[in-house]
Amino acid sequence: MLAGLDLDLPPGQRVLLVGPSGSGKSTLLRGLAGLLEVADSGERAGRVLVDGADPCARAGTVGLVLQEPGAGVVSATVGRDVAFGLENIGLPPDQMPPRVAAALAAVRLTMPQDTPTHALSGGEQQRLALAGALALEPSLLLLDEPTAMLDPENAASVRASVEELATSRRLSTVVVEHHLGPWLPFADRLVVLDAGGRLVADGPPQDVLAAQGDALLAQGIWVPGYEDPRPGAIPPGLFTAGRLGANVVALDAADVTVTRRVPRLDGSTSTTVAVQSQWLQARTGQVHALVGPSGSGKSTLMLALAGLLDTDDGTVRAHPHLLAGHRDGSRNPRDWDTVELATSLAWVPQWASSTLVAHTVLDEVMTTSRALGLVESEARERAHRLLVVLGLDHLQQVDPRHLSGGEQRRLAMASAVVHQPAVLLADEATVGLDRLTWAAVMGLVEGLRDADVAVVLTTHDEAVIARADRATALTRPSQPPARAVHRRPLVARCGPLSLLAASALAIPAGVVSPHWQASLALLALQMLLALLGLAAPGRGPAPRGRVRAVAARMVPGLLGGGSVAWSTWLLGGHQVSLAATGCLRVLVIVFPSAVLVQYVDADALGDHLAQLVHLPARPVVALAAALQRVHTFGDVWAEIGRARRVRGVGATARSPRSVLAQLSALTVGMLVRSLQAAAALAVAMDARGFATAQRRTWAAPARWRAADTVLLLAALCPLVLAWQWSAWPWRPWR
Amino acid sequence: MSTTEDRSDAVTDAGLPASSPARTPARTGGSSPAPRSRRRSIRAAAPLWQWRTVDLLTTAFLGAAFGVAYWAWGLAYAAPATGLEAVFPPLQGVTGAPWLVAGVIGGLVIRRPGAALGCEVVAALVSMLPGTKWGTATLVSGVLQGLGAELAFLLLGYAVFGVGAALLAGALAAPLEAVYEWGTYWTDWGMGYKLAYGAILTVSGAVVAGGLGWLLTRGLARAGALNAFPPGQEVREQRAV
Repeated sequence: MLAGLDLDLPPGQRVLLVGPSGSGKSTLLRGLAGLLEVADSGERAGRVLVDGADPCARAGTVGLVLQEPGAGVVSATVGRDVAFGLENIGLPPDQMPPRVAAALAAVRLTMPQDTPTHALSGGEQQRLALAGALALEPSLLLLDEPTAMLDPENAASVRASVEELATSRRLSTVVVEHHLGPWLPFADRLVVLDAGGRLVADGPPQDVLAAQGDALLAQGIWVPGYEDPRPGAIPPGLFTAGRLGANVVALDAADVTVTRRVPRLDGSTSTTVAVQSQWLQARTGQVHALVGPSGSGKSTLMLALAGLLDTDDGTVRAHPHLLAGHRDGSRNPRDWDTVELATSLAWVPQWASSTLVAHTVLDEVMTTSRALGLVESEARERAHRLLVVLGLDHLQQVDPRHLSGGEQRRLAMASAVVHQPAVLLADEATVGLDRLTWAAVMGLVEGLRDADVAVVLTTHDEAVIARADRATALTRPSQPPARAVHRRPLVARCGPLSLLAASALAIPAGVVSPHWQASLALLALQMLLALLGLAAPGRGPAPRGRVRAVAARMVPGLLGGGSVAWSTWLLGGHQVSLAATGCLRVLVIVFPSAVLVQYVDADALGDHLAQLVHLPARPVVALAAALQRVHTFGDVWAEIGRARRVRGVGATARSPRSVLAQLSALTVGMLVRSLQAAAALAVAMDARGFATAQRRTWAAPARWRAADTVLLLAALCPLVLAWQWSAWPWRPWR
Repeated sequence: MSTTEDRSDAVTDAGLPASSPARTPARTGGSSPAPRSRRRSIRAAAPLWQWRTVDLLTTAFLGAAFGVAYWAWGLAYAAPATGLEAVFPPLQGVTGAPWLVAGVIGGLVIRRPGAALGCEVVAALVSMLPGTKWGTATLVSGVLQGLGAELAFLLLGYAVFGVGAALLAGALAAPLEAVYEWGTYWTDWGMGYKLAYGAILTVSGAVVAGGLGWLLTRGLARAGALNAFPPGQEVREQRAV
């Protein structure tokens, strides 16, 4: 990967590190941070010294910011995330607030410290990563393409923060980038690696650019002062003239509104407006750019256009000729089946890896053609030619999951369009690409446009907008007012441990309950206690939906109880009392969980397990980090499902095999993404001293309160009742 | 970037203290004596009880991902379970087997003491929080299932991780859970039914959780998602040969 590299960085120097993809820039950064062994494989020789010492000698000597915003987020809230490194070095909690506040102020994050980290924009998440590094007072700051995935506004905010920090604290800084322009004013040294990881140029940026500008350009690096690359040419005949002709409305969105409901771990949901009353017409033979700040709903509108999302209002209609024999003639792509959708529409998401469905590059490109039943030899011929155009033909037998990011993006594009659908919808198709990949992708886009395909691109890329035939600007939709703060039920004052323990106490209670009369009494007592616990005394509006939430959580339990009753009734010689005993026992076991578990605060669980039960700190932190990411797994699940549907291999009710294939693809995809997330987070956490954090402190104290004791005592009542049932003197039914 | 033991032995670790836990081996994944025969599994880097950050996080994240899948299966399993129940009630054990897979995979991937238990418990916890039919009893099941799978890897000395080990882990994940269910859900069954249920859960645990778990681990390694772990290293060495 890297070979025989010697670098000396004087304090305060700002280095811009460039090289073609695969030249080992990220490897070098991890090496500088002393983190090569965290999640990489391979062999290592040589050494790294920071201020004359090993970078791991003091936690946080080297601060690291990763490319993907949010990849290094450990905690559920902003303030807690910054405190993570301080906890690892064992700083007393009372000394943390000033350092956290100072770090947040230094990167100009002014929101309250209890703001959820997942509510931040990409740029804010990158600045949060900076603040987290800053809290540990690093002497070297490493940034791995920190702005590659951000829109221009957010990218500028991150660059401004880096500049300020480097200046005010005289930090040595190394930035890896392939978009040189915006970083040139910042850097005072430019280091260039070649494809083999060897040093080819090193010096003041202007000198290096003057001597090496053309060579850098040839490597695909964006060098200021040169023209934008020209989109690659598509050989004539690869795409044929479309059946709709030019300048026809292929897809028409009228007054579309989409709201997003994000489920939380406690079972509740938060609702936001993603797209508000949007109009859009995609015309054949035109490239339509969809622009606007992040959060303005560009990607969501794209999903609505592709029939991959339910709209709350408005209509999406395709040109009648695109129906391809749909039975009831609906013009809304949402109503089409997977093959009909794939025939007419292509959608390429920003994360190309999630669209992969096959195990070789060739099969990947052929997937949709095969699903549509096209003639294999002709389709294969077209696939070959397209792979040659995109420079992927030598990789035909390679597993697509092993390709580089840029190769995957080109492959995703090729696989989406090889059968020439009438409409191409591509999400941020050029973000983070080097010049060579950019030219290949844009060449394909314009080749399709010239073959009368209607192309819609969401983009922040000025060069793409300049080449587009039309542009529509979206603005952030206004959100419904936040709901008033309601009174909290009494059980919500309890910590996660007492809630879990109290609901677990129902298990022995159910098991020792001798018969249905006893279980019925137990259930009545549990319901009485539940009513008390759910009461919400005090001022302000009453919380709504308490009983409904419990009822919803009881539905599966009731079904389970019913199933047990049915089976017992069948087996037990049709005795109703036996059946009732089995059923009520299940209800006694699950009812307290239906009431209590929804109030378990997953974010506080780690704090309580570590401080009150004294479980080992590092596993508990890992658990807490995983719990606060659970909501992202659902997004991955949805995205893979969409990718399969639009590629013509989605699950259909008619084919059980397609359902099985879909389930297995979704499961593997979700596992792969969670493994990648774990590996990236491990690097970020070790950069903040987690590897050596045997004696951590905790920024938020966890206390056992009186409410916890009361809850436990209350939960013991049904157990005692069940235990003592046979010893009780009065049994009116005997 | 293939690694073989001979080459990595020649790598010097100049200037880097060998004491910090995450960094002792010069290469990640495994550090056992050279796996000369194809059948031998690569062990986790010694010492076995010293978990790297990526081990901890992967256990937790895998568990969380399986937790989401477990929750979904908790909604979907009722139909097949009812069908099997109509045939022969203890056959419902077949539909219980998918809930045993997290422990098997946690053990096969991380290969450290506690990985199987940890992965299964996290999966149970995550599937419980949005609300399942079984409430907190889910967590109890997770602990019992995880202990069973863990026992299998313990018996094998955390040294064997082939398909046989996976089948054993899948099988042993079942008995404790079956006994627990006798006392909570199947109280009215006779001993014959209870034993049949235990046997069916054990066999389907071996096949579904063990067999599929082993295939899934191999698939993840081939996808390049386990590069930091022994299964990823095994795939690389197979390719290097």
